[in-house]
Amino acid sequence: MIKTLQLLLLLTLTVFATEKPTLTIYTYDAFAASWGPAPKIKKAFEKEHNCTLKFVGLSSSIGALRKIQLEDKRTKADVLLGLDTSIAQVAKKTGLFVAHELNTSKLDLPAPYNDDTFTPFDYSFFAFVYNTDKLKNVPDSFEALANMPKEFKIVIQDPRSSTAGLGLLLWVKSIYGDKAGEYWKRLAPHILTITKGWSEAYGLFLKGEADMVLSYTTSPAYHIIDENRTDIKAAAFKEGHYGQIEVASVLKSSKHQALAKQFLAFLHTQTFADIIPTANWAYPVVKSTLPKAYETLVHPKEMILMDGKTVQRERKAIINEWLEAIQK
Amino acid sequence: MFKGLIRFKSAVLPGAFIALSLLGFAFLLFLTLYGSQEGSLFTQLDNRIYGLLKFTLYQAFLSTILSLVVGVLLAWALAHQSHFKGRGLLVALFSSSLVLPTLIVVFGLIGIFGRNGYLNQASLFFFDHSFGSYIYGLGGILLAHVYLNASFASRALLHSFEAIPKEKYKLAKSLNFSVFERFLYVEYPALKSTLLSIGSTIFLLCFTSFAVVLLLGGSPSYNTLEVAIYEAVRLDFDIGMALKLALIQLSISAVLVVLSSGFRTGLANLKTSHTLIPWKEAKVLQVIQWFIIGLFTLFFVLPLVVIVVDGIGADFGRIFQAPLFIKSFVTSISLATVSSVLTVIIAVALSHTRRNFALSTRLGAKPFANVLDGIIAFSGNLYLAIPSLVMGLGFFLLYQKTEGSEVVWATAALLTANVLMSLPFALSVLTPAMHKTAQRYDKLAFSLGLTKLQRWMYVEYPYLKSSLGYVFALAFCFSLGDLGIIALFGSDEFSTLPWYLYQLMGSYRNADAAGVALVLLLLVLSVFVLIPRLFNGDNIAKNK
Repeated sequence: MIKTLQLLLLLTLTVFATEKPTLTIYTYDAFAASWGPAPKIKKAFEKEHNCTLKFVGLSSSIGALRKIQLEDKRTKADVLLGLDTSIAQVAKKTGLFVAHELNTSKLDLPAPYNDDTFTPFDYSFFAFVYNTDKLKNVPDSFEALANMPKEFKIVIQDPRSSTAGLGLLLWVKSIYGDKAGEYWKRLAPHILTITKGWSEAYGLFLKGEADMVLSYTTSPAYHIIDENRTDIKAAAFKEGHYGQIEVASVLKSSKHQALAKQFLAFLHTQTFADIIPTANWAYPVVKSTLPKAYETLVHPKEMILMDGKTVQRERKAIINEWLEAIQK
Repeated sequence: MFKGLIRFKSAVLPGAFIALSLLGFAFLLFLTLYGSQEGSLFTQLDNRIYGLLKFTLYQAFLSTILSLVVGVLLAWALAHQSHFKGRGLLVALFSSSLVLPTLIVVFGLIGIFGRNGYLNQASLFFFDHSFGSYIYGLGGILLAHVYLNASFASRALLHSFEAIPKEKYKLAKSLNFSVFERFLYVEYPALKSTLLSIGSTIFLLCFTSFAVVLLLGGSPSYNTLEVAIYEAVRLDFDIGMALKLALIQLSISAVLVVLSSGFRTGLANLKTSHTLIPWKEAKVLQVIQWFIIGLFTLFFVLPLVVIVVDGIGADFGRIFQAPLFIKSFVTSISLATVSSVLTVIIAVALSHTRRNFALSTRLGAKPFANVLDGIIAFSGNLYLAIPSLVMGLGFFLLYQKTEGSEVVWATAALLTANVLMSLPFALSVLTPAMHKTAQRYDKLAFSLGLTKLQRWMYVEYPYLKSSLGYVFALAFCFSLGDLGIIALFGSDEFSTLPWYLYQLMGSYRNADAAGVALVLLLLVLSVFVLIPRLFNGDNIAKNK
């Protein structure tokens, strides 16, 4: 009798002990927010796998990487989601991440990307976004942007913390090359402020503090679909648009390697691809039917994209050139 | 007499011990920073660092000049308009600028002066003209620095105005001085020493300004060294760069503090009077003075009104339930309580020792008393020499090297910073008061043979009560509103109210941010008003 009781007790204990594992994902705030894609992804992934998904939103994705670096061995993160191909090489160098072991060659990307550590989950193009009611004389190139009247202001992001900010720097660099510093000097008077992450910049723009904000060609889709307003548009630039392929990777220190890799595989499913266009407002990396509003968007034919290795080599120099140009 | 001397010596010990540990701490900090950096410090002073340094000094210089000009004008107007209803309240309100959290001030200023702020909206409505955006960048930095420092300067300057003997005014009038001559020959000489001491303090505060520049600098176009240190750690993970900047910052501010220590006194002179200046002002002057008072009152009050107006509509049910809000609230209150208790204890010990060295009836006549007094005074002003971000970096390196928990290191760093930040102000309130008790009651206390405890209970405490309450409230509010070191340590696991508010402002949850700003503002103001009352309690006979 006592034996059976003990056995029962042991049984209940093991039931409680095998509690669901928690997979912690560090990402940028707009992704983790209640209005972002995180809640939908959590629901879908938890249904398929017996686990809890926990999103931790930081002010920017590079900020999330820095947090992991600062926390070192103590980090609770299993997955880092939201860096892009430009910065991924830099992150890879830290040696904190493991190979994903997925076949990424069949993904639907506008520019080829094959990396054994970081895997793509969506993409879009950088663009300056404006309000058609407030801005009439819309610049159509970087030259026109720098030549706008004095009171014209833009908000951009800090390339040291935000992938969007870094994207703009690389965009300008691939167009102007050695003259990039000189261009930044000309653009500097129009920069209202430089924010740590995309959310803060976009918030300032929506509050009316600036005429244009560095965002994505896909940002207007949010206003069309969710808010039913068509006055927010992205400006098409003659020089072409720099792209952003967002990627994710698993931490070497993660205790849930198998589950984390299942999560990466989940990023390439149809379920995930259907969530992305109306939650993260970007193109999925798996072919799927896009909402109608996407037909009205600026869609560049080509994607300007710098090679990750080049970026890793020259990032510091490019950022320093920019810092010196805009510092007063 | 000999017995008495022994007693004096034992009284010197606690203060000396604290002073020595503070200085030792500063030295260790320097060693940690210096030892952690690789390569030589001054070989790579590149353009960027040079530019940073130039801008840091430039904005501090401009902020100081502007704050002093505005402060003098305001104090001058208030001194000559000494009898109107609500003057006492107004002066008390201005003095609260000392404890207003920088973050709150910036939040309110953006609400008024932002591109979409009330000023531009009003101007668009009435004149169809917008002033555009000027709040981000140098303009905004100066605006916020003047807001924070001019009111604080005017308080001390008003005190100097009121200390001018009335006979001087009478004499000046009989000599038929113009208003300008009156200022030049009667008023300016009386203000000079206050201008120097307040000016040097404001310069140091602006030189190490962090939150204002972080929020309004539109970084990195307008960066101070402090913000650059923060960015090097949090954005670049470039500890080497942070160290280099920290050492430069540390050397410069240490030199500045030593240079200016000679004339830094009376930081927190808070007693004002209503003495009538025997000089009836001409109508034009009266109008000008009223204009100055009115304009500055608007400038000071409107941003606070904006916070109340914007915050009142927030969904407080949701805010108060957010786990991170509760966590930050509890952390903030506990940190503030512990650091204000520590501040009071340390300030009492330090000023107790100082009076032993300063008074000739005690040890003042001994050789080196002056030097020792100076060293202890410097240890109390350490905060001005060691910018909090530099100190935070030191703690941060220690945290990285040891395997200790983040929360423990963060708590230690914040407590140290908060105590050091409050000490200069606490000492400038307590030291003169403690000098007085010694001068007044030493003979009596010794002749009665009071024990230490008795002396404290019957002599010192009743006399110092109100000052202690003020110091406690000051330290509490400083700690509550500070956004400095927490920027290096802040995370979901360890957060304070200002850090939480900064996070909310960064993501675009503006309604919640406005609500939290209002909570923080009300918290600080009520502590600042209520705690000194609590200490005064039944004590009706105020210390005059």
